[in-house]
Amino acid sequence: MNTMNIKKRSHLFLTISLVAVLIASIAVAGCTGNGTKTPGATPAPTAPPTVLVTPQAPAPVSATTPVSSGQKQTIRISGSTTVLPIVQKAADQYMSAHPEADIQISGGGSGVGIQAIGAKTVDMGMSSREVTKDEMTKYPSFVVTTVAQDGIAVIVNPKNTIQYITLDQIKDIYLGKITKWTEITGAEVPGTNNQIVIVGRDSASGTRTYFDETVLSKATPAKMMLEKNSNGAIAQTIAQTPGAIGYVSIGFVSKDVKALPIWYNAQKIVAPGISTVKDKTYPVSRDLYVITNGQPSGLAGDFIKYILGPDGQKIVLDEGYVTLNAS
Amino acid sequence: MQQVLSSSGGNASRFSVRKEQAIKTVFFVTAFFAVIVITFILLFLIRDAYPIFEQTGVLDFLFGMSWTPTAVVPSYGIFPLIVGTLLVTIGSMIFAVPLSIGCAIYISELASPRVKKILKPAVELLAGIPSVVYGFFGLIVLTNFIRITFDIPTGETWLAASVLLGIMALPTIISISEDAISSVPREYKEGSLAIGATRWQTISRVIVPAALSGIAAAIILGIGRAIGETMAVMMVAGNAAIIPDPIWNILSPLRTLTATLGIEMGEVSVGSEHYSALFGVAVVLLVITLIINLSAVAILRHLREGRTKGLAGKPFISPVIKEFLARFAKVLGIALVLIFLLLAAPLWCAALFLPAVGVWYFFRERLSQKQIEKIAFGLIIGATVIVLAILVIILQDIIINGLPALSWEFLTQPPRDLGRAGGIFPAIVGTLYLVAGAILIALPLGVGAAVYLVEYTREGRITRLIRTGVDLLNGTPSIVFGLFGFAFMVLFLNFGVSMIAGQITLALMVLPTVIRTTEESLKSIPQSLREGSLALGATRWQTISKVVLPPAVPGIVTGAILSIGRAAGETAPIMFTAVVFSSRFLPDSIFEPVMALPYHLFILATNIPGASTNKYGTALVLLIMVVGFYSVAILVRTHFQNTMRG
Repeated sequence: MNTMNIKKRSHLFLTISLVAVLIASIAVAGCTGNGTKTPGATPAPTAPPTVLVTPQAPAPVSATTPVSSGQKQTIRISGSTTVLPIVQKAADQYMSAHPEADIQISGGGSGVGIQAIGAKTVDMGMSSREVTKDEMTKYPSFVVTTVAQDGIAVIVNPKNTIQYITLDQIKDIYLGKITKWTEITGAEVPGTNNQIVIVGRDSASGTRTYFDETVLSKATPAKMMLEKNSNGAIAQTIAQTPGAIGYVSIGFVSKDVKALPIWYNAQKIVAPGISTVKDKTYPVSRDLYVITNGQPSGLAGDFIKYILGPDGQKIVLDEGYVTLNAS
Repeated sequence: MQQVLSSSGGNASRFSVRKEQAIKTVFFVTAFFAVIVITFILLFLIRDAYPIFEQTGVLDFLFGMSWTPTAVVPSYGIFPLIVGTLLVTIGSMIFAVPLSIGCAIYISELASPRVKKILKPAVELLAGIPSVVYGFFGLIVLTNFIRITFDIPTGETWLAASVLLGIMALPTIISISEDAISSVPREYKEGSLAIGATRWQTISRVIVPAALSGIAAAIILGIGRAIGETMAVMMVAGNAAIIPDPIWNILSPLRTLTATLGIEMGEVSVGSEHYSALFGVAVVLLVITLIINLSAVAILRHLREGRTKGLAGKPFISPVIKEFLARFAKVLGIALVLIFLLLAAPLWCAALFLPAVGVWYFFRERLSQKQIEKIAFGLIIGATVIVLAILVIILQDIIINGLPALSWEFLTQPPRDLGRAGGIFPAIVGTLYLVAGAILIALPLGVGAAVYLVEYTREGRITRLIRTGVDLLNGTPSIVFGLFGFAFMVLFLNFGVSMIAGQITLALMVLPTVIRTTEESLKSIPQSLREGSLALGATRWQTISKVVLPPAVPGIVTGAILSIGRAAGETAPIMFTAVVFSSRFLPDSIFEPVMALPYHLFILATNIPGASTNKYGTALVLLIMVVGFYSVAILVRTHFQNTMRG
């Protein structure tokens, strides 16, 4: 009985100490490892090896890539959720042509992306805002590549009869000087008391920064503005709120919302669209960036080349963004 | 027998004493872990928030009226956010408390055993619905409903946020109050009925007062859930950083502390003033939840001491207690009415409320006890029906829209075309990895802590400290865990966005649940078993490992499964620490990021136009998964209860 006791006891003891060792090793690995490339430094405590049903293409058929075939190569990308759709789709297509490449993309936001590339926890950052001076000083090795252009469309609910709007009117609405749709169009918005519901992006967003700077001349929008943390959330709100006005990337303009052309004078009314953004006649557009540490090279360099090339730029177009002028 | 014992002692005894000591120390360390973690989180957040406190001054930060971090002259005043958080929470409780207590009374006192058997798990399923799912339901259905009903420009309001948070707090309050009501000794009820009281008199005068401390605990936990909720409130509250004008205008949009973190954290430039200000927001949020939790602990202790003292004198409700309860109820009632009138009620609401009270007082004298009982039971059943209706509405919305997306391909393929096509296989596996890692870390720590608390100590200053630590950890909002995970593991330890960072973050989050449930199941082991084992000469560790732990295993398993369910549905803690939007391969080391269902759903719904079918499909799979975990937990519990009785 006693030996059994000891046996069982030591068994339990073993379990506990194993767990303790596991935790300790995780902590140690965390303090020493740089996080990016420590394959197998600590055995994954969770991964049962039986679930490896990854759809891996049978044989690498890459001939044109600088990436050596066969060897799995991983790059990590993180950052702006506005840039994410383009890079994600490009990565999907790139990876089906290059089975050995593994491109992992996470969102998080422009700030997270810039921080991550600065700290070198990823190989590439995505940003929908310019890198700030502070960030440039902090990380002098940054190389910023423009991958696409994006127009920002001012959208309203389809029930709203307004046909176009001037930049000054947009500004007055967002600064809270105009509060009724009747003040602009003279026409009622059905199903509402004509109150304008202002919807904008959260204050950390690249889109918001850009909009505040260019359209509001750096003034602070009215406090009544509803804040949303994504293009999709703004479009959703506009689609179900008859009196609302908002702004989104032109990729998010759908039949559920109405994008307003900008009115300069009777001769010049510019609708947001791919061609008007491209020839810069639509006034509210900006660039989307990817950031690398130093000149992009290896898989990252090849991938950026792919985005900038015809296949990549076609994706830009498919996703509703605007291709670079060069291409 | 004695000889056997003494021979096994002797030389070995010194060793075994030392070993016992060592084991005790290990358990103590695990128990103290919660205290260390909560202190560490607070210190770490303060470290990152310090620059903003230094720059704007603590008072200006707390009481500043304007939050404009990106203006030319930025201003970081979070007073509107604090007010928003408090208002939303109060509103949600006004909505949730009457419904939950009514429903809890129905389940424990009125329902037939068969109805109870269905109803209780159904309510717990409400807790299993992930908060992102609530958020989309709120954004698409609830805000629209409010906009049209009240004829206001936008439905994204305080009211929408409060109703949604109220719904989310329902299951917590119902299940804990129901436990409290059910655990009132049968003699109370029988005694009351025997002296001729009606069932309603018994319930309202005897059973509910006796269960009051449990109900209070339930409400406080509900408040904790409501105050810390991020993803849902962020989608429906409108997020305008204003104080409603006038202050009781429940149709005004507002913004909470958690929503501020949820929407701004991702884009902010790390190390900037704004970044520091967000950590300041997190510190304030944490301090508010700490205050609520500490006062809750104090109130509960007060109530419990009052009751045990009272019960020591008389087995039935003693005059001392009765007086105390009456006073408590009166103060609570007056306070609630005042809060209601001051904050929540627009004029028409007050106009309805006051006559209702008047009518009640007028008729109370005239009605027979039987009639009063009928009215009360009607209200209670009404509350239960409302709760069930809410559950049905949410579930049918998700199931009807999600079912068309489900297919073999959807479950086994990686996503294509940004998740609009293809499947969610890597996200399912990623979620499993995340929760498995979390539970692997949390389970030993949690069980160890519970063993220490129940088996090794008597109640004293240290256990109180540890319990407080656990309570505080339990009350910490999930977004704060996310922020901590990001600042500490992703940046400070340089893990990068990785599975391990998410697993540890989730583990910390579910640790209190594991400790609580393990503690409960250990406590339910009769003391006589321990005494018997010790009397036979077994050491403390032998007693624990052989006698106490084995029968407690079902309880521990239930706790673990509940934790898994909670961890699987969370978005806020993993959003900045562990996830990628899309990945073709499964991760092959814990330092790689993973896909996860809640985050996939969040991105599909907010950043990918035209992914509506797969969005609902993902929501349905997530729901099935979480509900599946909960169902297993419920089955384990029922099985255990049955075998115990049998």
